[in-house]
Amino acid sequence: MSDVVPLKIQRGGTKLRIGFLRLTDSAPAIVAQEFGYFADEGVDADLLEEPSWANIADKLAYGFLDAAVIVPPLVFAIEMGLRGVSQKLVIPCNLSLGGNTVTLSRDLAAQVRGVASKDGVSIAAALAQCLKGRTEPLPLGIVHAYSTHNLLLRYWLATVGLEAGRDVRLSVVPPARAVEALQSGQIAGFCAGAPWGEIAARAGAGATVATSDHIWRNAPEKAFAVRARWAEENPDALKGAIRALVRAAQFCDAPENASYTGALLSRQKYLNVDSHAILSSLPGGAIRQDNLSRFWRQAATFPWRSHALWFLRQMARWDLIGDVDAGALAARVYRPDIYRAAVAPLGISVPSVDSKAEGAHDAPWQLEAAPNPLPMDPDSFCDGAVFVASPAPAAF
Amino acid sequence: MALTILLIDTDEDRARALEEKLAESGFARVIRAESLDMAATVERARPDLVIIDMALPDRDALEDIRAVSSASPVVMFAGTDDPAFAQEAIAAGVCSYNLSGVALQDVRPIMASAIALFRRYRHVETELAAAKALLDERRLIERAKAILMKNRKMTEPEAYRWLQKKAMNESRKLAQIVADFVAEDEAEKRETKS
Repeated sequence: MSDVVPLKIQRGGTKLRIGFLRLTDSAPAIVAQEFGYFADEGVDADLLEEPSWANIADKLAYGFLDAAVIVPPLVFAIEMGLRGVSQKLVIPCNLSLGGNTVTLSRDLAAQVRGVASKDGVSIAAALAQCLKGRTEPLPLGIVHAYSTHNLLLRYWLATVGLEAGRDVRLSVVPPARAVEALQSGQIAGFCAGAPWGEIAARAGAGATVATSDHIWRNAPEKAFAVRARWAEENPDALKGAIRALVRAAQFCDAPENASYTGALLSRQKYLNVDSHAILSSLPGGAIRQDNLSRFWRQAATFPWRSHALWFLRQMARWDLIGDVDAGALAARVYRPDIYRAAVAPLGISVPSVDSKAEGAHDAPWQLEAAPNPLPMDPDSFCDGAVFVASPAPAAF
Repeated sequence: MALTILLIDTDEDRARALEEKLAESGFARVIRAESLDMAATVERARPDLVIIDMALPDRDALEDIRAVSSASPVVMFAGTDDPAFAQEAIAAGVCSYNLSGVALQDVRPIMASAIALFRRYRHVETELAAAKALLDERRLIERAKAILMKNRKMTEPEAYRWLQKKAMNESRKLAQIVADFVAEDEAEKRETKS
């Protein structure tokens, strides 16, 4: 087949416009599209690459997008109208765990890496040590105010008493600008999703000192959010889209598929970066195992209410939200009920409960699920905290 | 009162055109962003309004400016007015932030100019895409004709009429007919190979 002509064949099905950013964990949506999983489920998906979270938020709010691969705190911000027009959204499916890096300028990274211990708090303590005697706060980049990165980074810094505003100055730097911002000295480091830490390392601009796992092992990262109205009007297509994403998540999580996924994502219309930089955080493609994006095992696609409540608790902690009924909001947005109904025909094991004690496991454990229990990896926080969602969210 | 507008657009032609248009109107002073450090740029320029190309990643940085500098809160202008106007802006690919609480009626004509200009430039892109689609269709028709001439020993006019007739009978567009036809042929070839 030397002369393949790209064919535009009309497909039927319910139209679903999905926005995504150039990030490794957009993988399930891209795979579901390219391998025809959406089409198999009667969903006519359109994948739209957006350059900013702000675009994703506005396009969801004004109906230019039906869904997005998105960071959950931003979903709550859109719901509450904290940045522009509000829009009701639901998260019927999670898409990934882990995958972020804390990447510092080379000099600073070398100093921090000098510490012997490799646990999250020791690394943060080493950073705190390096900051002693500084008169100015250390400028660090995050990808958005309402991002998992902002919440994880602040959580981590707080474990050693580092405060945003006093010890570090957080500003938003789009990951695509991070390399030049590091080189110009605008920032001394950043927290962003893969592949941007790897890209900065390859450009010689920085080095990664910590990852999501150093802060919260198997931390929830990207979710699939859909406009509530679209979800109500297209219940079958929504379930089909979830099944397609679950199937894609299984593909992306299989180590033997890493090179396929990496090559696919590296295409110009998707991430448009070297496939090796993408491979470095894919299951089966990574040399270091501590910054993997996980897509399927450990119930990675399940939309945990306890994840929602943790995000809301942290948003309140840093004054990103005011007084809200977190239980009600979490129950309205996170919809394990839709997930269960969608995947029922697949015969996969699904968690029996909607919330779990986050951080309670520092060793592999078994999750109660039907029909079979699920093997789970640790979910501990760097400071050993356990987050129990309380009061338990009311049944929806 | 002349408003200070910070324009963030990497398309030189479009930026210059908008700058000229706004300068002509006399009610705005336009500053072009020189640095990618949004906080520093805003701190220096102290604009009343920021107009930014939505294709740039820098919107996220702009939105957070209140957290990093002493500048007045950033309000997304499009969101405070009627949704139709905001939708027009998004469709054109341009967005604005009101930094100094300028009255909407002062901002609106400026945004209308920006939207019109962005749409005009977008229009050129759309035309290019349409031209490319037409070219792809032509190429597919040629392929389909070649297949028919080879496999069914038709002449070129016969092959073309055959495709046209198929399109009419199935009441589908010729483009769809040839796309399917070529795809089927590809699939058959693959099957015979394996």
